Amino acid sequence: MSVFPECKKMKRTGFFPALLLGGLFSAMVPVLNMAFRSELYTGQGKPPVRILLDANWQMMAMLNILLVLVGTCILYHTEYENHAIGKMAALPIRRGRLFVDKFLLMAAACIVILALEAAAVGFCSFRWFPLPEGFHGLILELLQNFGYFLLLMMPAMLLSLFIASVCENMWISLGIGVICVFTATMLPSGNFAWSLFPYALLFQIPKSLPAHTAGKLLLAVPIEIGAIGIAGALFANIRRRFT
Amino acid sequence: MKFFTLVGVEFRKIRRSRIQILLFLGTVILWLPSVIHADMNFKMQAEGISPENNFFIQGFMGMAAFLFPASMVVCTVLLQQTERNHHGILKMLSLPVCPAKLCFAKFTVLLSLAAAQILMTVGMYGVSAGIASRTQDYNFLLPLSYVFKQAGSILLASIPMLTFFWLLSVWIRTPIFSIGFGLASIVPSVLMINTKVWFVYPMAYPFFVIVSEYGKLATRLSTAPIKWVPWLPVAAGITIICLLLSCFRFGQVERG
Repeated sequence: MSVFPECKKMKRTGFFPALLLGGLFSAMVPVLNMAFRSELYTGQGKPPVRILLDANWQMMAMLNILLVLVGTCILYHTEYENHAIGKMAALPIRRGRLFVDKFLLMAAACIVILALEAAAVGFCSFRWFPLPEGFHGLILELLQNFGYFLLLMMPAMLLSLFIASVCENMWISLGIGVICVFTATMLPSGNFAWSLFPYALLFQIPKSLPAHTAGKLLLAVPIEIGAIGIAGALFANIRRRFT
Repeated sequence: MKFFTLVGVEFRKIRRSRIQILLFLGTVILWLPSVIHADMNFKMQAEGISPENNFFIQGFMGMAAFLFPASMVVCTVLLQQTERNHHGILKMLSLPVCPAKLCFAKFTVLLSLAAAQILMTVGMYGVSAGIASRTQDYNFLLPLSYVFKQAGSILLASIPMLTFFWLLSVWIRTPIFSIGFGLASIVPSVLMINTKVWFVYPMAYPFFVIVSEYGKLATRLSTAPIKWVPWLPVAAGITIICLLLSCFRFGQVERG
């Protein structure tokens, strides 16, 4: 397994504790929101998970995207600092492999973050709402929603990782990422084509969308993942010609 | 070395960093939707705000809420990384310069980058308001004195926030924490401006100032007015403490 050395590289950069803290911070959003103004939400008469996500997901998604941005920048920053990437290129590993490994590590970190958030949303539904469909219904609902979120997060992950792999200087990859996130917040809502922008995907809740739109969205996302993923892995092979 | 020489040196270091392009690109993306959807400004009668004021305030609110603070976090990354790459800081510290002075020179550069981005925003506002005036056949351009006054107040209000970001980048040496903490602290500022204790949260200041101005312009919308008494002392305190702490800490690890 070549993901393991990637974990080792990240050990002293604070990657894991930072993302864990970020995940906890974003998991606190619905809990605090409910703790302070639960009366706003308990009377809405919709499924609890849906109420909670409608109320809090925008902010949580923003935090998640920013975490992905910082995480991917650090993943490649360790390579470019002191020219470690030259040493990696000397090893008998295929070059695209590094990109794939880093993506797998980032995806694993994101699963942990999303699990923390799902637990927080689950806790809020359990604590403040009656559960008409019981405990199993709640778990199923959470799994479905956060499974979608993981899928919607992946294009942003891949694109940030791709940008980080292209730019040697961290402020450039971070700056481009910040501009992209900002663009995502400025895009008009309700336009399907714009909503496919990788950084804007996560701000949507597929289960709150009309079934037709959600279906199209979930069809388009794997295509995006494939395209950006292949581009990122292939770029590693021709990177030397540009830098 | 004189202070201004040091600032000049710091500027030379970031000359080829391409940060100007990044800052500029952000402002272009900020105003682009406003030009495309310029007709939306005529539908804001419910708030009681005139179209030209709405055009101005929406753009500046977008800037102060996310783009500007996040860009400043990126700038702190730039200022720190140019030193840490190839141990540049060791060479700087071997010069007969007080580290605190060096730190303050770097902060001055950060402040000028902030001013540069705000100036770019004003410039792009002029361009996009001009274009929108042409397409909509309605004068969107506000008097320049008013625009500069607002831009200046955003810059002044952002000083405590900048010192805080600078403190983060000096004290927290693992970049992921300083960047992550900086970026994550921007997100709750939208909530903070609606609370009574907004003045303890420096990241919310620029946004608060512009939202408060929105309340003044829109007759049917009330936002919290600026209360100088708790704000000014708290902001000054935050600024001084953050600057002192970062000047104290700067280069301490390298000096051993």
